[in-house]
Amino acid sequence: MKINKLAILFFAFNILFISCNQDDDDDNIFDPKGDYENGTLISGEGSATTGSVTFIPEDLSAPQQLIFKTVNDAELGTFLQSIAFSESNAYICVDNANTINVVDRYTFKEIAKITDQLVTPRYMVAVGDTGYATNWGSTAVDTDDFIAVIDLNTNKVTKTIPVGLGPERIVAKDGKLYVSHKGAYGTNNKVAVIDVATEVITEITVADEPDELFFDADDNLWVLSSGRASWTGSESNGSIAKINTTTNTITTSFDLATTEHPNFLTYSGGKIYYLLSGNVYEMEVSAATLPTSSILEIGSVYGMEVNNGQLYGLNASFSALSELNIYSISSKEKTKTMSVSLGASKIYFNK
Amino acid sequence: MKLCKITVFCFLAMLSAYGQKDSIVNSLDEVIVIADKNIKENSIGFKRINLQDSIILNNSESFTSLLRFNAPIYFREYGSGGTSSARFRGTSSSNTAVIWNGININSVNSGQTGFNSLTVNLVDNIDIRPGGGSIKYGSGAIGGTIHLNTDLQFKKHFTNQFISSIGSYETYKNVYKFSYGSSSFVLKGGVSRNESENDYPLLGTEFVNTNGSYKNLEWNFNTAFKFSNNSKISFYTTKYNATRYFSGQLPNPKAAKEKYRDFNQRNLLVFEIKRNNFTHITKAAFLTQEYNYFADKNIDTYDFGKSKTYLLNYDFFWQINASSKLETYTEYTSIFGSTKQIVEKHRRQFSQAAIFTKNFQNNISYNLKFRKDFNSDFEVPFVIAFGAEIPFKENWKIRMNASNNYRVPTYNDLYWPGQGNLDLIPETSKQAEIGINWSRKRGNSFYTNVDIGYFYIDSKEKIVWTPGGDPEREGIWVPINISEVLNKGFEIRFLQKYRIDNHIFTLSSNYSYTNATDKETDKYLIFVPKHLINANFSYAYKKWNFFYQFLFNGKIYSSEDNFFSLPSFDISNIGLNYKIFNIKNQSLAIALKINNIYNEMYQNSPSRIMPNRNFNTTINYKF
Repeated sequence: MKINKLAILFFAFNILFISCNQDDDDDNIFDPKGDYENGTLISGEGSATTGSVTFIPEDLSAPQQLIFKTVNDAELGTFLQSIAFSESNAYICVDNANTINVVDRYTFKEIAKITDQLVTPRYMVAVGDTGYATNWGSTAVDTDDFIAVIDLNTNKVTKTIPVGLGPERIVAKDGKLYVSHKGAYGTNNKVAVIDVATEVITEITVADEPDELFFDADDNLWVLSSGRASWTGSESNGSIAKINTTTNTITTSFDLATTEHPNFLTYSGGKIYYLLSGNVYEMEVSAATLPTSSILEIGSVYGMEVNNGQLYGLNASFSALSELNIYSISSKEKTKTMSVSLGASKIYFNK
Repeated sequence: MKLCKITVFCFLAMLSAYGQKDSIVNSLDEVIVIADKNIKENSIGFKRINLQDSIILNNSESFTSLLRFNAPIYFREYGSGGTSSARFRGTSSSNTAVIWNGININSVNSGQTGFNSLTVNLVDNIDIRPGGGSIKYGSGAIGGTIHLNTDLQFKKHFTNQFISSIGSYETYKNVYKFSYGSSSFVLKGGVSRNESENDYPLLGTEFVNTNGSYKNLEWNFNTAFKFSNNSKISFYTTKYNATRYFSGQLPNPKAAKEKYRDFNQRNLLVFEIKRNNFTHITKAAFLTQEYNYFADKNIDTYDFGKSKTYLLNYDFFWQINASSKLETYTEYTSIFGSTKQIVEKHRRQFSQAAIFTKNFQNNISYNLKFRKDFNSDFEVPFVIAFGAEIPFKENWKIRMNASNNYRVPTYNDLYWPGQGNLDLIPETSKQAEIGINWSRKRGNSFYTNVDIGYFYIDSKEKIVWTPGGDPEREGIWVPINISEVLNKGFEIRFLQKYRIDNHIFTLSSNYSYTNATDKETDKYLIFVPKHLINANFSYAYKKWNFFYQFLFNGKIYSSEDNFFSLPSFDISNIGLNYKIFNIKNQSLAIALKINNIYNEMYQNSPSRIMPNRNFNTTINYKF
């Protein structure tokens, strides 16, 4: 009896000790690198007002608006298109302002502002000490689009690589850049593979208006093409292409009907998600066909991401703060709604 | 002495036009041909601000600055010299109608008028009338109307005027005007050229206003001929060409490279005949507008919008008896509009209006107005308006007006490829205003006029461009009839003139309080200052005239949830005019003006800083 009690006490003490210890460890491992570590960044394009970034703490408590302005007492300008990340920095691409703002990704303190040789910068990817930013060039010309190569130590554009019309998203792997050519104000249907060393460009033709792209765990490149909308007068089908990055050929092309225009392809937990007509679809990377039934209906959104079984959808407003809705994929319930930046379009999980 | 008299006269003319029933203006009307003949009569129950010569000259930098300092209107200007739109009483910029010699000249494509693409110096006088006016001026006359008038005088005269000014940031303006007249013939014309580098430093930043330069050229030519005392014909024509660049926004103004060209032409023929108690006025007008928009000034490709408007109008007046008058107004408009993206669309409208006016012997007057439009594109609401003025005691007057008004969807709203919405219906508003006016005059040495008015505007079916406005077109910006807004507030106008011997003091000031909210969200409307104050003070002594201008622009919200805002600001300008000589029919004057004397950093559009302290000198030679 006594022994039992002692044993319980001992275990209890032990548990207490261990958990205390773990807490200490937690503090050591996750020594905060800044106010904006461990949370979600929502970028808003801005409209009549400036582009902005909202920070949502990991516990999804109150969102903090205008964090760039709060820290730096400066505006980002319009339209904030995207944010790229290196290990320590965030690169905020503001297309109309021809600017990439370099900030510390955890404190959001401004480090530099890159403006020279940028013309309508859209997206960037950081590879080691080099950044590669897609630029539309002058919106009045279809033939001056380029990739700006940026030295991330000096934050200067060192050279530019001319590419086809409307380079949009960019990802990198093994010395190669993969660029989706959505087509800027026109239309395009290419994924460009650029060998960084030789600047040789190989183009892969996909369905019209390719946008999101990412690599799966098996190094396949997935690209979503929305297809041309009906109002263009030459409507075309949306499609998801699975590309073998060794041969740079399409392994599988998951085509939709001509009137179907999917968006917001994303990859989380080994699964693929996309939105079609307000419905979220989920598929395995190994799937042979597109799913036939959706997992969730969220309506029309301007941005979407999935993280840890939570789906984030942005209901953008360009005349007021936007609305972020978070859904649990397993319960199919909306778990949280909050106000985020004006013209909110992108969601980044800042780990 | 003579000089003083002229100055006093000008000022009195201004005051009395405001007083509406003053004898000076009425007698002037006999010799001056005004295309928009009945603005005064149609304005029973309205406040009307009339701006003439000296005031126009003191503010000739731009139309925006002229009105900003003299009328209760908020201007949203995209940087000095950039796109500029006017809002009365918290209504939207497409709810302000600009009327040139009686003809609505708002753009067919956008429904608005850009106030930096109108030339100040060629307009003889400007009437500003807050309040609804769709009865006479059609679409867009919801918040108020701004009237640009040309006066033609049947009187023996021949005058020439040359105005030349140089300002900071390589701003040059040259105007030449002439007017020749006899008792039966008038010929009047002018040419105005403005240009500016407009590269003022953006206060508080390392930048200058980049890509903000402009140049424009306008000429006009007007003539009138009197066949007899009962019939006359007049013709007005004006042509405007401008090239300007759209300046850059912070934080990187250097990114700017847009260029814009305007070509506007307006022609109007008016024939008037009076028989017994009947007057017939027939008008024919032909207006063209074209803009070219270059996304990149270095590239020759551009977007464009074009329109041609043909207008026929028949105005019939019947003086039923000494106190009653009936006017009918029949108008047919045919508009052809296109843009690079919109193939030419033809809109036709037939309008019929009737206005009954009664003036009682005790000076009480009222009018009742009705208008019905038949539009080829949509149903336009039946419009009714009422105005009344009740003088009482010696110096008091109560004025009131009520009306419903509309704004039709623009070509862009309806037809923009992929985004236009053919299901749109016109915006409508119901509004009412009641005011009290007190004025006192003692000879020509003392004059005071105070007007306080309360307004109420209830608008619905407001057209708003919204992403995903049409569920069929996901994520696409589409205009829809959505919001209902309520604007309430009051305006105070104060005028004071005081004279002792050769010293003349004048003060005019406007204050407006506007509470404009979205009925659904209860938030304040964007770009509506709650408080707006302007004031002009002047002191004239013999050949000298000193003036001081002040503007307080209250805080404005720039997002509909009122999360983003722009702070309030106040700016002051000073100026000094000196008449070097004034002999016989010749006079020469020089003027110096300093704008923004306190070097205040201010913005009336986000991320666009307005000019710092700047200078302007003018020579004005009349012969």
